[in-house]
Amino acid sequence: MGGQIYRMEADRARFKEVVRGRVRRDLTKYMATTELMGRQGGETVSIPVPAVELPRFRFGSNEGGVGQGDGGEGDEVGQKGDGDGQGQGAGEAGELTGEHVLEVEVELEELARMMGEELELPRIQPRGHKTIETNAGRWNGIRNEGPGSLRHFRRTFRRALVRTIASGEFDPADPVVVPIRDDERFRARKPSPRPDSSAVIFHMMDVSGSMGAEQKDIVRIEAFWIDTWLRSQYKSIEVVYIVHDAEAKVVDQDTFFHLRESGGTKISSAYELCLELIKTRYSPENYNIYPFHYSDGDNWSSRDTERCIELIRDELLPRVNQFCYGQVKSAYGSGQFKKELDGPFGADERIVTASVSDRGGIPAAIKRFLGQGR
Amino acid sequence: MEAAELAETVATAAGLTFFDVVFEMLDAVDVNALAAYGGFPTRYPSWRFGMEYECLARGHEWGLSKIYELVINHDPTIAYLVRSNSFMEQKLVMAHVYGHADFFRNSAWFAPTDRRMIQRFEQHARCIKEHSARLGQDRVEEFLDAALSLDTLIDPYGAQRRMRARQSSGGMPDVAGGHRSGQGALARASRDRLNALQGEEPLPDPPEQQQAVGSPFDVLGYLAEFAEVEAWQRDILRIAAYEAEYFAPQRMTKIINEGWASFWHSRLLTGGLLDASEVIEFADCHAGATASAPGQLNPYKLGIDLFRHAEEQGLDIFRLRAVHNDVSFIDAVVDEAFVRRSKLFAMEPGSGPGRKPVIGSRDADEIKGRLLSSLAWGGLPRIRMESAPAAGSSGALVLRHEHDGRDLKLDEAGVLLRTVGRMWKGPVELLTQEGEEGRRLLCDKGELSLREAS
Repeated sequence: MGGQIYRMEADRARFKEVVRGRVRRDLTKYMATTELMGRQGGETVSIPVPAVELPRFRFGSNEGGVGQGDGGEGDEVGQKGDGDGQGQGAGEAGELTGEHVLEVEVELEELARMMGEELELPRIQPRGHKTIETNAGRWNGIRNEGPGSLRHFRRTFRRALVRTIASGEFDPADPVVVPIRDDERFRARKPSPRPDSSAVIFHMMDVSGSMGAEQKDIVRIEAFWIDTWLRSQYKSIEVVYIVHDAEAKVVDQDTFFHLRESGGTKISSAYELCLELIKTRYSPENYNIYPFHYSDGDNWSSRDTERCIELIRDELLPRVNQFCYGQVKSAYGSGQFKKELDGPFGADERIVTASVSDRGGIPAAIKRFLGQGR
Repeated sequence: MEAAELAETVATAAGLTFFDVVFEMLDAVDVNALAAYGGFPTRYPSWRFGMEYECLARGHEWGLSKIYELVINHDPTIAYLVRSNSFMEQKLVMAHVYGHADFFRNSAWFAPTDRRMIQRFEQHARCIKEHSARLGQDRVEEFLDAALSLDTLIDPYGAQRRMRARQSSGGMPDVAGGHRSGQGALARASRDRLNALQGEEPLPDPPEQQQAVGSPFDVLGYLAEFAEVEAWQRDILRIAAYEAEYFAPQRMTKIINEGWASFWHSRLLTGGLLDASEVIEFADCHAGATASAPGQLNPYKLGIDLFRHAEEQGLDIFRLRAVHNDVSFIDAVVDEAFVRRSKLFAMEPGSGPGRKPVIGSRDADEIKGRLLSSLAWGGLPRIRMESAPAAGSSGALVLRHEHDGRDLKLDEAGVLLRTVGRMWKGPVELLTQEGEEGRRLLCDKGELSLREAS
C-alpha cells in the first residue's frame, strides 16, 4: 500500500501549498489576530485555516430541517428543556456542508519569509565588527587521498572510464572498467566560513493602569511578529521581557503577556534596567541589540521624560542596532511620549517610533520598525 | 479469512446476491487515504484529496470518527477493511459489506454505472497528468477546479433515462433530439484521444453512462461538447462530467444503501454469526454506528428503521431495495406511525441566544414533505438549461433554477456563473427567485449583474 501513501503525500503537499498561498494572501489579517500566539511548537506554528471549499450551486438559509428525539414544541434541539423535553439530532438529511477547520503547520522561517515579502522588509545586515566567523564545513569537496569509507564511487569510476577509453583498452562489447589507485577520488570537507551572529531583543512594556487588555494584546502580537522576523535573521537570539510601571523588572514571557499592574509610570526605570543588562550581560561586542518599548504614551513627569531622552541618546543608541518605540492608543493615554521622542530624534535613523491605534495598524508599525534593515 | 467465508455463507443463505467480493486488509491510515480518494487509489492528482485526507486524519486522530470499511461499486466488489478491527468488528463489517454488495448489484440505480471504474479513473488520471506535464500543473488544476465546481450541474437520473430510452427503442441508443446526439463522433474522437494518449488497448466504450441522449439538466455535459474550449479543457470537462455521473447514484441512495447494509449486518450477526461472548461488543458497536448526533440525521439509523418498519408493514424489502432511491423509498415507507415511532420533528430556527434550532411541528405530512424536498435531486438545487443555443452561435446560455421555496446562495451562484461564462465565451444567465421575487443573474464579459425578473 506504499503506493497509495506516496500518492497521498503528493496531494497533501499540494494542499499545503494551496493553504500557504491563502495564508500569504491573508497574512495581514493573521497579523492582526492573537490566533497564532501560543501555537508555536519549536520551529513551527500551526495555523488554523478553514477548509477550502469549491464554490457550488447550493441552497441558502431558508431550508427547513428534520430532527429526531423527545421534546415538546419550542424546546431547543440538543438541549435539556424545562421539563423532560430533550430533542436530539438535527439537520437535513441532505448534504451537510460542515465547517471544517484544519490546522496547517508552517515553519517559523517560512512565516518570516512571507512576512518579509508582504511587508517588503529588507534583510538585516548584522553590524560588521560583531560578526564572528565560524567554520561550518560541508562535505562537498573532492581530493585524491582519503580513507576507503569516503571514496566517491561515481568520480572514481568516471576517472577509470576516461583512462580506459584514452588508453584504448575500452571494448564496448565487454565494457569492463577496473579502477586503479590513481583513479580513486575521495570526499573532502570544504570549509565554508559563515558569519555567526547573535542578537538580543528587549521587549519593554508599560503595564500601568491605563494599558488595557486590548493594548496588551496589540503589544503581544507585535512582539510575536518582531520575534519571528528577527529569529529568521539571526542564528541565535535571546529575548528579554521587561515590564514597568514606576519600577521596572525582568519577567518571563508568560508574565509579560498576562501581568496587569497599576500605578504610575516611570519609563526611565525600564531604560535603566535595559542599559544595565546590556552592560552586564549583552555586550555590544557580542550581540546585535534591539530594544523595543511599548506604552500608551503617558509618563510620570516631564523630568523623567528628559531622563529617558538622555538615556537613549547617551547610553542606548551608541550600543544598539536600533531603538524602537511603539505607542499604543488607549482611552486614557495622552500619547505625549512619542512627540517628546520625535522632537530630538526626528532625523536619527537609529530610533524608530510608530503609533498603533488599533489591531489593523500592526502591520504598518512592524514595517516601520523592521523596514530599515538595521 | 474464515470470517469472510462465514459471512458470505450466511449472506447467501439469507437471499443476498452480489458480484464476487474481494476483501483487502489495510492500516487505518491507508483506509483514510483511500476514503479521501472516494475509494479509488487511482484518481488524478489534486489538492482536494489532500485536504480531504487532512480532515479524515484529524477526525481519526481526535477520535471523532472511525472508518471501519470502504466498499467500492465495482465488478468484483472491492471492500477495504481496517486491519485493527477486532474479530467481532470484522464479522460485523463483512456482513455490512455483503449488504452493500447486494445493493450495488441489485439496485436499479446502479445498473447503468460503470463497473470498471478503477481503470476508468486511472485513464482519467493519466490524461490529466499528461496535460499537466505539458501545460503546467497550475493551469490544469485551475481549470479542473472550475470544472468540478460545476459538477452538480448534471442530470442525476441521466444514466437511467438513457438506459430506459435504449431499452424501449430495441437496444439502440436513443438519438432523438438529445444535445449529444450527432456528437457521437466528437465524443468518440475525444475518447480515442484519451486512449491514444496512453498508447494502449482502449477500454471498451462505457456502458449506459455517458452515452448520448442529452438532458436539459446536464449543463456540464453540454459545456463539454459545445463550449468553445481547447481540446485539453474539453477532456477535463468530460472527465468531470463522467465522474460526477458515476458518483450521483451513491449520493441519491445514501440512506437506503446504508440502511440496507445495517439491516443485514444486524440480522446476520444476531441470527447466528455472533458468538454469545461478543453480544455486548456488538451492541456497543452497532449503537455507535446508528446513534444520531445533534446536527445530523444519521442515514444508518433512518435507513435501518425504514427497512424494519417496511418489513413489519408486510412490504417486500428485497423489492424496495431494488427499485428505490432515498426519496422514493421515504415516500413509499414513511407514514404517521413511523414518524411517531422515530420521534421525528420539524426543526425551526430558534429565537433564543445563540439561535439554536428548536423543535417545531411533529405533523407527519410536514416532516415527510421536508425529508422529501431535502433529499430530492440528491439534495441539490435543480438547475436546467432553458435555452441552449446551437453550437458556434453567440447566443446567451440561459439556466433556470427550479425554485421550490428554497433560495440559492446568490453570491456563490454569481462566482459560478462567471466560471460558466468563461467557458461558454458568451453571455450566461441564471433565472431564480429570492422568496417570491424573481431574479435574473447575468454574466456578460465577466461582468455580473442582478436584476428583478418576472
